[in-house]
Amino acid sequence: MLLQLNNIFKWVKTGGQQTFLLKDINFNVEEGEFISIMGPSGSGKTTLLNVIGMLDGFNEGEYNFMDESVHDLKEKHRADLYKRYIGFVFQSYHLLDELTVQENLEMPLLYKKLKGSERKAMVADMLDRFNIVGKKDLFPTQLSGGQQQLVGIARALISNPKLILADEPTGNLNSSQGEEIMGIFKELNEEGVTIIQVTHSEKNAEYGTRTINLLDGRMV
Amino acid sequence: MFKNYLKIAWRNLQKNKLFTAINIISLSIGLSASFVIGMMIYHDMTFDRFHKDGDRIFRVTTSFSFGSGGQFYNSGVTAPLGETLKDGIQEIGTTAAFFTIYPVKVTSEQVNQAFRNPQGVMLSNGDYFDMFSYNWLAGNKKSALKEPNAVVLSEKRAGKYFPGLLPEEVVGMTTIYNDSIVVTVLGVVENFKERSDLFFEEFISLETANAFGMQDQVFSTNWGGTNSNSQLFVKVNDLEMTASVQQQLDALALEHEDEESKQDGDITSFHLQPLNDIHFSPTYAAYDYSQPQASKSTLKGLFFIALFLLLLGCVNFINLNTAQGFKRSKEVGVRKTLGGSKSQIRYQFLTETFLLTIASALVSILLSMWLLQLFSDFVPASLTANVFTEPMVIAGILALLITVTFIAGFYPAMILSKFKPASAIRNQLAVSNGRIPLRKYLTVFQFAIAQIFVIATLLVGKQINFMMSQDMGIKTDAVVYVDMPWHEKSIEKKERFLNAVKSLPQIQTASIGGRPPASFGYNSAGISYFNDQEEVKLDLQQLFGDTQYADVYGIELLAGRSRLNDTIKEFVINEKAMKLLGFTKPEDALNVQLKISDEVFPVVGVMKDFHQRSLKSGIEPMALVGDGYRNIGFSQFNSVHFSLSGGSETWENTLVSVEKEFENAFPDAEFKLNFMDDMVSRFYLQERKTAKLLKWAMGLSLLISCLGLFGLVIYTTEKRTKEIGIRKILGASLSQLNFLLCKEFLILIGIGFLIAAPVAWYGLDNWLQDFANKTTLSWWIFGISGIAMIALALVIMSAKTIAAANSNPVESLRTE
Repeated sequence: MLLQLNNIFKWVKTGGQQTFLLKDINFNVEEGEFISIMGPSGSGKTTLLNVIGMLDGFNEGEYNFMDESVHDLKEKHRADLYKRYIGFVFQSYHLLDELTVQENLEMPLLYKKLKGSERKAMVADMLDRFNIVGKKDLFPTQLSGGQQQLVGIARALISNPKLILADEPTGNLNSSQGEEIMGIFKELNEEGVTIIQVTHSEKNAEYGTRTINLLDGRMV
Repeated sequence: MFKNYLKIAWRNLQKNKLFTAINIISLSIGLSASFVIGMMIYHDMTFDRFHKDGDRIFRVTTSFSFGSGGQFYNSGVTAPLGETLKDGIQEIGTTAAFFTIYPVKVTSEQVNQAFRNPQGVMLSNGDYFDMFSYNWLAGNKKSALKEPNAVVLSEKRAGKYFPGLLPEEVVGMTTIYNDSIVVTVLGVVENFKERSDLFFEEFISLETANAFGMQDQVFSTNWGGTNSNSQLFVKVNDLEMTASVQQQLDALALEHEDEESKQDGDITSFHLQPLNDIHFSPTYAAYDYSQPQASKSTLKGLFFIALFLLLLGCVNFINLNTAQGFKRSKEVGVRKTLGGSKSQIRYQFLTETFLLTIASALVSILLSMWLLQLFSDFVPASLTANVFTEPMVIAGILALLITVTFIAGFYPAMILSKFKPASAIRNQLAVSNGRIPLRKYLTVFQFAIAQIFVIATLLVGKQINFMMSQDMGIKTDAVVYVDMPWHEKSIEKKERFLNAVKSLPQIQTASIGGRPPASFGYNSAGISYFNDQEEVKLDLQQLFGDTQYADVYGIELLAGRSRLNDTIKEFVINEKAMKLLGFTKPEDALNVQLKISDEVFPVVGVMKDFHQRSLKSGIEPMALVGDGYRNIGFSQFNSVHFSLSGGSETWENTLVSVEKEFENAFPDAEFKLNFMDDMVSRFYLQERKTAKLLKWAMGLSLLISCLGLFGLVIYTTEKRTKEIGIRKILGASLSQLNFLLCKEFLILIGIGFLIAAPVAWYGLDNWLQDFANKTTLSWWIFGISGIAMIALALVIMSAKTIAAANSNPVESLRTE
C-alpha cells in the first residue's frame, strides 16, 4: 500500500465558527493506481490534494505514507518525504519564469544536491523523452500552454517520484492539448507511476482507474 | 547550486529594474560614504603604530593653570627636565630630548640654490635614534651626532639637497644653514615607510646649538621657561609603572615651582602623553603645522554620518524586498514543492542580496572618488587612494560587504522563506497577524534621521549667518595687514616700509603693530591692581600697536586719551577690563595704576569693547599697548595695518605698489596680504565645514529616504489597484483617492518628525553651548523643516498615486 488516510478532518475558524474543509476522509491508495478526485467548486478537492502532498496539514486523523506516519512527522521529515516520492503538476503550470526549460527541469535535482554530471544526464533524458530538446533554452513565457504543462510534468517526473499529484492539469488547456497531456498521464500510469488528479471533467476522470467524489469536504 | 542562485538573482534583478536601481543607488551611497569615511578613520588611527615598544613611549608635555584663571598647554617641557629624568627616575629606560628649530634657509655644496624654511629640523644628541629605530643607509648611529657641526639627513632630504648621489656619497658633504653655519653630513637614514607624525628630516647635533644662538635655551638649568620647541620623549620600562612615573613628575614639578608662582596659585604640571595620542590631541600640538590636527570628535561625527547613510540604504532594501514579497510568493511556493528547504531558499535570497551589495560596491568605488573631493576639507592630504590596496583595508571592505548583506538581506530572506507552499503558490499570503510590520518602523526611522539632518542644517546655517552678520565692533571691510619677517630686528627698516605704504594713494590710515585686534593669536599678561579693599588679579590680553592703530580699525575711545607715543608704557583698556577692575564709568578708571610684575602701567584711556576672536568666544579683558620692550630686543611690531578708500575693484594698483615696497624693504621675505574680512570669515571655517558636511548628509539621506518612499508607494498602489477601482466606481474623487493612498505614509513621516524634533533640539542645544554668541533655537526652524519634508514626500508620492487614481477602473478590475 502506498498511502492510507484514516478519519481526516480539517477545519478553519472564521468569526468564531468552525468551517470544515475536510470531513472524515478515508481511503487507501495502492501503488499503480490512477485516481481522480471530483466534485464541485469549494468541495475540498485541492485541499485534499495538498494534504496528500504534505503541503498542508490537517487537524485530526491519521495519514500513513509508505509506512511512515505523516501526522507524527516533523516538518523537515515531511519535506524529505515528499521531496523523494512525490511530484506535483499544477493547473497554471507554475514554472519559474526566470528560468529556461532546461533550468526548470534541473531545479528539483539541485535541491536534492545531485552532482552536475548526473543532473545533466537526467535533464537530457527527460528533454528527450518529452520531445522538447529544441525548446530547452526557451523561457516559459515563450511556450504555449500545452508545452508549458509538458515541461511541468517533465519537471515533476525528473526525480523519479512514486506518486504524481496533479491539480486540474488540463484546466488551462484547450481540448486537443488536454487530450495529449492525459495521454501522457495514461502512459506514465502504465509504466507504474501512481497518479492522483483533481479534475472537473468526466472525460478526464475516465482515464483513471477509480474516482473519489467530494461534496462539502465529505466523500460521497 | 551557487551558480544557479547567482543566475536567478541576476535575472530577478534585471526583471525589476526600477527596484534594483533604487536598491543599488541607496546602498551605494551608504557604502561609498562608509568607504571614504572608513578610510579616513583607518588612516588617522594608524599613525605611529609601528614603533618597537611604541605603547611604552610617551611624550612629556606641560600644562599650566593660573591662579588668575586660565589654563594653558604646551607640547614642550622646560629644558633641564630631560637631563633630570635621564638618571633621576628608575622606571624610565630611555629618554630622548630634542629641540625643533626653524632655519631660514639651507644651501648645499652641490645644488646652487637656497632652500627656504626647511621643515622638520631638530637639534639632537642622538638619543632620539635610540628611542625610535631608523634604518641607517649610511653613517654610524653611535657617533653621528656626538660632534658639533654634524647633521644626519633623511633619505628624502638627502635626495633634495644632493640629487643623484648615493647615501654613502652624501656622507661627508656639507650644507650651510642661515648662510653661515657649515655642517657636515655624517649619516643618512631611511624615512619611515609607515604613517608617522614624527616628520623629521634633518637631525643636527646638539653641540651645534651655539651656532644657532640656542645655547641659552638648550643648556639652560633654569626651570622657569617652557618652550614648545623643547621636546622630550621617555620610554617606561613597564606600562604598569606609568602611575609611579607620573607621581614623580608631579613631585619634580612642585619642587621646581618658584615661590612667586606658588603665591599666585599657579600650578605647572608635566604629563605623559602616549605616542599615538599625538596625532589626535586637541591640547598638545603635533609637529607638522601645515597639517591640521586630526580630531577624534570630527571622526566620530563622520562615522555616524556614514553609519546612518548605510543603515538608510539597508532600510530601503529591507522595505522594498519584504513589500515585494508577495510578488515572489509563487516562486517560493513552487520551490518548496520541488523540494527546496527553508534554509536553501533563505540562502538563495541572501545570495541575491550579496550580488546587489557587490554591484553597489562597484558603483560606490566610483562614487568614492567623487566623495573624496566632496569631503576634501576633511580628508588629510596624506590620504590617497593607495590606502585601498592595503590588506587591512581590503579585508575591512569585504567584512563590510558581508555585514551589509546580512543586515539588509537577513530579515527579508527569513520572511520569504517562511511562506507556506500551499498558500504561497496561490498568492494567498497570511494577512497581517495584527502586528505592525517592521517596514513601518523602518520608514519612521528613515524619515526621523533625514528630518534631524534637515533641522540641523537649517540651524547651523542660521548660526553662521548670525555670527557673520553681527557687528564685531571693529572695522573689517577694506582693512588689510601685512606681516613683516619675524626675524627682522631693525625697527627703522619696518618704519621705512610703513612710511612708504602711508604715502601711497588710496591708503587712508596706516599703522604698525602686532596682530590685528581680532585674530587667532593670544598674548596676555597677568596684572594686579589694588582697589580700596583688595587686590584684583586679571589675565589681561595685550594688543600691540602704535598710536594710529585704533584709527585703522575704527576702535572708539570712550574716555581719556590715546597713548602719547609708540613705546610709552601706557594702557588703553577695554570696557570689559574696566568692569573687572571694579569700575562702572569709563572716566573713573582713568589714571589707575596696573602692575605687571614690578612694572607699573597707568590707564590713560578706555576703549569700546569689540570681539577679539570669533563670536564663539566672549569678550575678554584687553589693553592696547605700545612697543614697550623694543629696547631690550622684544619688539612686538611685526605687521603693517592699513585701511583703503574706494571700492575693492580700484585697489589693485595700490596693492601692487604695497608689494613692491615690501620687496624693496625685505627682499628675502614672503609677501602676503591679509584681508580682515577674510580673516573674520576664517573664524567660522570649522562651522562652515560642518555646515557643508551636514548639507551633504541631509541631501543624501533625503535622497535615500525618498527613493525608498517612492518604491513603497509603487508597491502599495499596485497592491491596492483593485481597491482603487472599486472605490472609483463607487464615486471617490481623484483627491480623495490620492489622500487615501498618501495617508499611511504621511502618518509615518509625522511620527518621524515627532521623534526627530526633540532629538535635534537636544543635540543642537548642546552644539550651541560652545558659542558665546548664539542664535535662538526658533520653533519655526522645526516647523519649516517638518512642512518641507511633508511637501517633498507628497510630491514624490503623487507622481505615482495620481496616475493610479486616474487609471480606468474597468481595466484594474479585469486584471483580478
